[in-house]
Amino acid sequence: MVFDEERRGGDEDPVMAAIRRSVAAVMPDVDPGSVTPGRSLAELGCNSVDRVDVVAMTMDELGVAVPVPAFAEVRDIGTLAELLRRHL
Amino acid sequence: MTPTRGGGVAVTGMGIVCAIGHGVPAFARALREGRSGVARVPGDAPWLCAPAGEVSLQSALAAGAGLPAALLERARRAAFRSPRTIHAALQAALEGWAAARLHQAPLPAERVALVVAGHNLTTGYLHRVAERRVHAPAHLPGRLALHAQDTDHVGTLGQALEIRGEGCTVGGASASGNVAIVTAARMVEAGAADACLVVGAMADPSPLEREGFLALGAMAADDGREDPRRVCRPFDAGHRGFVPGEAAACLVLESPRSARRRGAAVLARVSGYTLALDGGGLAEPSEEGEARAMAGALERAGVDPRRVDYVSTHGTSSPLGDATELRALRRVLGPALGAPWVNATKELTGHCLHAAGVVEAVATVVQIGQGFVHPNPNLARPIDPEFRFVGPAARPAAIGAALSSSFGFGGFNASVVLAAPGH
Repeated sequence: MVFDEERRGGDEDPVMAAIRRSVAAVMPDVDPGSVTPGRSLAELGCNSVDRVDVVAMTMDELGVAVPVPAFAEVRDIGTLAELLRRHL
Repeated sequence: MTPTRGGGVAVTGMGIVCAIGHGVPAFARALREGRSGVARVPGDAPWLCAPAGEVSLQSALAAGAGLPAALLERARRAAFRSPRTIHAALQAALEGWAAARLHQAPLPAERVALVVAGHNLTTGYLHRVAERRVHAPAHLPGRLALHAQDTDHVGTLGQALEIRGEGCTVGGASASGNVAIVTAARMVEAGAADACLVVGAMADPSPLEREGFLALGAMAADDGREDPRRVCRPFDAGHRGFVPGEAAACLVLESPRSARRRGAAVLARVSGYTLALDGGGLAEPSEEGEARAMAGALERAGVDPRRVDYVSTHGTSSPLGDATELRALRRVLGPALGAPWVNATKELTGHCLHAAGVVEAVATVVQIGQGFVHPNPNLARPIDPEFRFVGPAARPAAIGAALSSSFGFGGFNASVVLAAPGH
């Protein structure tokens, strides 16, 4: 199961994979499979501080620095991934 | 209000994590052996410290083994992403909570209070975040705004243990631990809480602050050769500054009535205390201020200076501080100066800064309970041989009344009297 998950991650785009890893680190109770573009971090149970942690860790891993105001456009995990991708 | 003999506040639980022991039983063994935890910390600029070793969320939760699973899960969620210093505080607090049997014979959450001893507790953490940010500009932990504040200790421990009474941090430089004990004792005496957790927070000074201590000549510099365990030698002619130590420690203070109602064992009593400022803001200690704190604490406890059995000194291994403290102690004890046993726990634990008063209160209660006084193996040539210093080996001792003092930069003097339960 875990193996399948990792292999699927290997095929996946690196931004989504990084978000999934950050969510797993911040919210160990969340099923990594539920981290999909259509869901929001809040729906997954992330509070305001958890969300900042997820985003900061993901930016760290990807080596990007997105200015804070730019996150105003983020509606869900999909739009977060798009924003980060533009700064890669 | 002057507490009468037999009054005061009960100590019903303790916890500790420090260089010479994780947990009270291990700490007690190390005290008896006179084991030093001081080591040389490697790096670009090696320095001396008594490090607490492996401290993590896992070690903290392990210290609470035996507590209900739901409480430990709460603690895990509260401290999941916390810095190591918070994990250390949690470790000491969970041990103290379990020892006081606050899970088996609980109090209403609103009747439990929390006082955390210490200030400037996050400078090491902030330094590391800043350093990392130089290389990864996006790096900013989501919890930074919380973790940057000393009160994160209060918030996280309060969440972990579901404490709903009063809570705060209190500061008094190196006297913070005793200032916190006094603050908590007053809360309980005033009826604001039935029990109050006092948590001495682990110091995590930034490299800049360590340099400041060195520049002031207060901290012992590492010559790179000396056996680290021999450097901290309070009251010895070879003393040359304090050696920092890492520790978090916890005392559960409780009203005697609440302890009786819960059937909690009373380990000792805080039977008197005095806080006194020097009216001077520098690093210099004041003989007059120290004597005033010690004498005041004894008076409030109703303990005649001739009846003090044990003095747990501030004794940091600073030449000026050690000499000043012994002169103050001479004033207080008068002709009885050779009567009580005298030792310095910092030789073994290092100077645990804000937590020191709580660490030494735990050490004192251990010695009261187990009937011994711990040795100071480095004290070979006492600067004042008229005192009854414990020699190189532990001695059996029946301690009825003990005086424990902490003094801090800025003129903070804080003394507490700890008494055996039946004394």
